Amino acid sequence: MKILLALIKKEIKQILRDPSSIVIAFILPLISFLIYMYGVNLDSVKVTIGIKNDDNSPEVATLVKSFGHSKYVNSINFDNMEDIKTAIVRSKIKGAVVIPNDFSTKLSRGQGVNKGADLLIITDGSEVNTANYVQSYANMIANQWLITSKYKMHLPRPLINTEVRTWYNPDLNSHYFIVPGSIAITMTLIGILLTSLVIAREWERGTMEALLSTKVRVIHIVLGKYIPYFILGMVSMAFNVFLCVCIFQIPFKGSYLLLFLISGIFLFTSLGIGLLISTVLKNQFMASMVAMSLGFMPALMLSGLMFPINSMPVFFQYLTAIIPPRYYISFIESEFMAGGVNEIRLANAFYLTVLGLILFVAVYKKTQMRLEK
Amino acid sequence: MIRDFLRRVIALMKKEFITIWNDPKSRAIIVMMPIMQLLIFSNAATMEVRNIDTVVLDRCQSVESRELLSRFKNSSRFRNFYYVYNEKEFQKELDTQKVQIGINIPNDFSRNIKSKRGANVLVVSDGRQTNSAAIGAGYATQIISGYNAELTGNTGTQINPTVRNWFNPNLEYKWYILTVIVAMLSLVSTLILTALSIARERELGTFDQLIVSPLSSFEILLGKSIPPLIIAMSLTMIMVGIVIAFFHVPFNGSIILFFISILISLMAIVGVGLFISAICNTQQQAILSVMTFMMPAVLLSGFISPIEDMPIGWQYLTYLNPVRFFMVLSRGIFLKGMEIEDVITNLIPLIIIAAITLTLASRTFKRKLG
Amino acid sequence: MYTVTIKNLTKKFGSTVAIDNLSLNIEKGKITGLIGADGAGKTTLLRTIVGLLLPNEGEINVLGFNPATEKDKLLEGYTKDGKIHLPLGYMPQKFGLYEDLTVIENLRLYADLKGVTHDFDKMLEFTTLAPFQDRLAGALSGGMKQKLGLACTLLGNPEFLLLDEPSVGVDPISRRDLIKMVREMITPETTVLWSTAYLDEAHNFDTAVVIDKGKVIYEGKPHDLAPTPQEFENKVIDLMGGYNKEESLIAQNYDYHAPDVELTVEADNLEKRYGNFYAVKNNTFKIKKGEIFGLLGPNGAGKSTSFKMMCGLARPTSGTARIMEIDIKKNPERARSNLGYMAQKFSLYGSLTVKENLDFFALAYGISILKKDKKVNEVIEVFGLKEYENTKAEELPLGLKQRLSMAAALIHNPPVLFLDEPTSGVDVLTRRDFWNHITSLAKKGVTILVTTHFMDEAEYCDRISLFYKGETIAVGTPTELKQQAGANDMETAFINLIKESEK
Repeated sequence: MKILLALIKKEIKQILRDPSSIVIAFILPLISFLIYMYGVNLDSVKVTIGIKNDDNSPEVATLVKSFGHSKYVNSINFDNMEDIKTAIVRSKIKGAVVIPNDFSTKLSRGQGVNKGADLLIITDGSEVNTANYVQSYANMIANQWLITSKYKMHLPRPLINTEVRTWYNPDLNSHYFIVPGSIAITMTLIGILLTSLVIAREWERGTMEALLSTKVRVIHIVLGKYIPYFILGMVSMAFNVFLCVCIFQIPFKGSYLLLFLISGIFLFTSLGIGLLISTVLKNQFMASMVAMSLGFMPALMLSGLMFPINSMPVFFQYLTAIIPPRYYISFIESEFMAGGVNEIRLANAFYLTVLGLILFVAVYKKTQMRLEK
Repeated sequence: MIRDFLRRVIALMKKEFITIWNDPKSRAIIVMMPIMQLLIFSNAATMEVRNIDTVVLDRCQSVESRELLSRFKNSSRFRNFYYVYNEKEFQKELDTQKVQIGINIPNDFSRNIKSKRGANVLVVSDGRQTNSAAIGAGYATQIISGYNAELTGNTGTQINPTVRNWFNPNLEYKWYILTVIVAMLSLVSTLILTALSIARERELGTFDQLIVSPLSSFEILLGKSIPPLIIAMSLTMIMVGIVIAFFHVPFNGSIILFFISILISLMAIVGVGLFISAICNTQQQAILSVMTFMMPAVLLSGFISPIEDMPIGWQYLTYLNPVRFFMVLSRGIFLKGMEIEDVITNLIPLIIIAAITLTLASRTFKRKLG
Repeated sequence: MYTVTIKNLTKKFGSTVAIDNLSLNIEKGKITGLIGADGAGKTTLLRTIVGLLLPNEGEINVLGFNPATEKDKLLEGYTKDGKIHLPLGYMPQKFGLYEDLTVIENLRLYADLKGVTHDFDKMLEFTTLAPFQDRLAGALSGGMKQKLGLACTLLGNPEFLLLDEPSVGVDPISRRDLIKMVREMITPETTVLWSTAYLDEAHNFDTAVVIDKGKVIYEGKPHDLAPTPQEFENKVIDLMGGYNKEESLIAQNYDYHAPDVELTVEADNLEKRYGNFYAVKNNTFKIKKGEIFGLLGPNGAGKSTSFKMMCGLARPTSGTARIMEIDIKKNPERARSNLGYMAQKFSLYGSLTVKENLDFFALAYGISILKKDKKVNEVIEVFGLKEYENTKAEELPLGLKQRLSMAAALIHNPPVLFLDEPTSGVDVLTRRDFWNHITSLAKKGVTILVTTHFMDEAEYCDRISLFYKGETIAVGTPTELKQQAGANDMETAFINLIKESEK
C-alpha cells in the first residue's frame, strides 16, 4: 500500500510539474467549448447561393427577393452560367438557383398537362452536407413563396399535416449535443493520448530498471499509473461539467452522481487502452502514433459523435462495439438531454466495465518485471 | 561551399530517415496506421442517415394508415419497425435509443382524410442525436407529403425542381469525406513526425551534439523538415492513389497542381510541427501541444461548419489556419478541378504560414540554448 | 559462506554470447570488485544476478534464492531488531533518478518503494546533498547524481549490494566519499559486488574478479596480484591481454591543414551567472597550438558549463571565447567547424548503428562522400569497433559508447578537440589507447582541451587549470602544481589545493 502511495505521489508531482498535462486537461477543453459555443455554427447553416433569373415577370422578381430576405441563405445575382461555375469552384457560392424564362407562364397555366414550372437547383457536390442544405432550402423558399404568391389559388389543399417534434432537444440546439460530446473527447485524450506516453517514458529514460530492482510488483506499476491519471481525468471532468453547466448553460437533466460514476468507468477503460499501448511499445514516438490512430481518431470518427453508427455498413457497426467512446457518448448525451434512462445507463456502463476489465487484465499481463520477456 | 552545405543537409536527412524508418515496427506504424484508418473511416463515416429504426403507434388501424406505413417500409432509409399500443411504450422505445424516429397516427386519421378535413400525423425524432434527428425527420416528412400528393391526385400547380449536383452527381458522401479523411490523416502523421523530432533529441540529450557540429540552424531546419515531408508526401500520394483506384472517386483537376498544393500545404504543417518541437523540452509536451493545435485547427477548417457561416472575428482567425487552406485545396483540385489562379490565391497564405513558422522554429531552437 | 554461487552460467542475446559458462562464488561480508574490458559482460552478469535477465543455462543462487524465479523475495524487506533490512540493493549503471523530482522527493520515493523509514539525515550528510535537498535531480551535476543514486540504493541497509560502476564521472574527492559512504553504511555481514573501471579503487577491495568475454579470468585478493595500485593496474592489463603501445594510426593519418595560429583556444573573462549565483566566474586562459590543456575540478565546479560556453552551447553572461581566433559568440558556426566535441553525457543517436552514427558525423563535418567510407572504416578499425559496427548505439556497453563518441569527435580531423570526461567508464586498456592517440595528435599540432577524473591521466596534460566553485584556483604544469601543493601525486595535489582555497 505504501509502495503504491509513493508511486502515485511521484506521478502526481510529475503531472503537476509538466504544464502540458494541465493544458490538455483544462485549457484545451475550454478552447474547444469556446469554439463550439461561439465559433462554429452547427444548427441552421446559412449558405450563400447564386441566383440567375431569366424570367422578367414582376411576380418572379418577388421570388428572387424572398431568396434575398431568407434567413437561411445569402443570395448573389448572376447573369450567366460561366460566372456561376467560377464562383462555385472558388467556393464563393455553394450552389445556385436558375429560374427559366417560362417560369411564370407555366405557373399561371395552373392545372393542365404540363403541371408546374421547372426550377433548376445547382449544388456544389464536393461538399455533400452543404449541397443537401442548398437543395432543401431552395425548395423550401420556392414553395413558401408559391403559397403566398398569386398562383396560390391553383394549389391543392393538403390532406395530411405532419407535425414534427424533437424530443429531448426540442429546438434542435446542437450545443446541447456537441458540448457533452466534447467532454467525451477530452476524457479520451487524457485516457489514451497522455497515458500512452507514461510507461514508454520510464523505459526510454531508464527509470524502469531502478524501479524493477525494488519491492515494486506488477500491480503497483499498473495501479501506480492508473490511479494518478484517473484522478487527473476526474478533476478535468468536474471542471468540464462546471464549464458546461454553469458557464455555458447547457441544461443537464440527469444525475450528477451517475454522470461521474459512469465517466469514471469510461476513464478506467480509456486508461487501459493508453497504458496497454505504452506497455507494449516502450517507445514514445510509436506509442503516440498508435494512440492517435487507434485511440483518438476512432473516438472522433466511429463513436457516433460525428457520424451515426446506424448508417454504417453492418461490419463497421460491429467494429464500433470495441470502441469505448461509443458507449460513453451514447450515455453522456442521454444523461444530459434526457436524464434518467436506466436502460441506457446500465447497458453502457456494463459494456464499458467489461472492456475496461479486459484491458486491465491485458495491461497487467503485459507489464514486464524483467528487462526481457 | 554549396557542396559542403548539401553534404551536411543530406547527412542529417539520412540520419533522420534511419531513426524513423529503420525500425520495422516504426515503419509499419507510419505506413499502415493511416492506410488502415483510411479504409475503415471512409467506409464507416457517413452523414447520410440510413437504417432508421422506427416505433409506430397506429391508433387508427385503417387502410390509409397502413398505406402510409407501407410507404415507409418501401423506403430504403427505414429499417426496422416496432409496433406499440400505447404512449408509454412509444416513449420507452425512444428513451432507450432502440429507435430513432417515432410515428404516431391518431385514431381520427382515416376519418379526417375521407372528410377532407385534413388529418394529422406526429413524427417524433430523438434529439440526442441532433443531426440525424433533423435529417431523419426530414425523410419522414418527405414520405408523408409524397403520400399526401398521391391522395390529392397531384393536381394543381407546383414547382418541379431539377437538382444538379456538380462534381458529385449522386451526392456520394464518400467522395466528400475521403478528401477530408486523407487531409486529416496526413495532417496527423506530419505533425507527429515533426513535432517529436527535436523534442526527442532534447529529451535524450542528443541535440547538443547537433548544435556543436558545423550544421547551421538553417541546415538543421532543412535536414529536419525534408524527411518528414518526403514521408508525409508519399503517404498522401499513396492514400490518394487508393482513393482513386479503390473508391473510384474521379480526379478532376491537374495532377501537377495537386502535387504542388499538397507539398506546400504539408510544408506549412511541417513548419507548425517543427515550431512546436522547438519550444518543447519533452516528447510529452510536444505531442500534447500538437493536440492543442490540431483540435481548434480542424474545427475551424470549414470541415465541421462552413467558414462563411462563422462570426466575422472567427473568420479572420481562420486565415492563420493552414488546415483551412489545405482542405480547400485538396477538395477543390480533386473534385472541382480548381484552376491555377484559384490555387495560387489559396497557396499564398500557406507559403506565408510556412515561412513564418519555419523561421520561428529555427530562431527558437537557437534561442533555447540558454 | 557465500552470498552468491553461480554454476555454469550462460547468457546469450540472439547469437551473441554475453556470459560464457561462467562459475563464480562471492563471499559473504566481503567487497568484491568486478573488473573487465568494455563489453566483457559485467552489466549482464549483475542484471542476471538481480533477476532482471534470465539465464539461458546454469544456476544462480543468491542468498538462498533463485533470482530467475524468486526475484520478489530478494527485494522484499524483513524486520530484524526493530529495523527493516533488505536482502538486496542494486544500483544500475544509469540509475533511474526521476529528473523532474527533487533530491528529497527521489529519496522519499525509493524509501517507500523499498518499504523503509524516511530517515535521511545521515544519508544527506554523507552525500553532502543536504543543501541541495530541494533541487531537481535533473539539475544536479554528474557526480551528485551518482551520490544520490547510491544513497537511494543504500536505503534499508541491504545485505547484498550490487553497484554497476557507481563512480563513473565522479571526481576523486567525491569518489573517496562514495567508498567511505559504502564502507560506513555497511555492516561486517554485508556483501558488496562493485563493478568499476578504476583499478586503484578495485585494489582496495577484498576480492577482485576479472572477467573477459563472459569468462572469469582472475579471482583473488588484489594484493596477492600486486602490492601497489599502479602495479595492480599493469597486472590486470596483462591479464586482459596486455597493452602494447603502437604508433597511433589516427595521428598517422591526420594531416593538419588548419591555418597556423599561435593561440588556438582563448577564453576571455568567461562568466555565467544564474541570478546571484556564479556558475563560472572570470574564467580566462589561453591555449597554444598543440597543447593538451586539462581542466580539473570536483563535480559541480563549473567545468561543463565552461565547456558548453566555449563551444557555443550556452550563452556566456559576459566575456567570450575564441577558437582558431574566431569569436564563438559572433560566428558560432564557423568557430565550431574547427572543433571536435565529446559531451559528458552520451549524446550520439541510440537508434542508429555504430556505422550509421559515424557516417552521419563524417558527412556533417564535411568529409566528402568519396572519402567518407574510407575514413569511417579507418576509425572503426582504430577504435576497435569492428565487431560492433552494426550494433545500435543504445545497446553498446558504457565503455564502448565512450569510444564511439570519441571516434565521432575525431572523425573530421579537427584542429581543436574538446573532450569532456572522455574516459569515464572506459576500461583501462582503452584508456591507455585513448591517451596514446591524444598525445600523438597533440604532437601533430592538435590542441586539446580535456576534463578528467582520473588523476593519473592528468599527468598527460601539458598544463592544468584547477577549477573550483566556478573559479580557477591554480594553473600550471603537473609538476608545478604538485610542487605548489607539496604533494607527490596528482590526487593529493588536487585535494590539497582545494583545501587550501577553502581557507
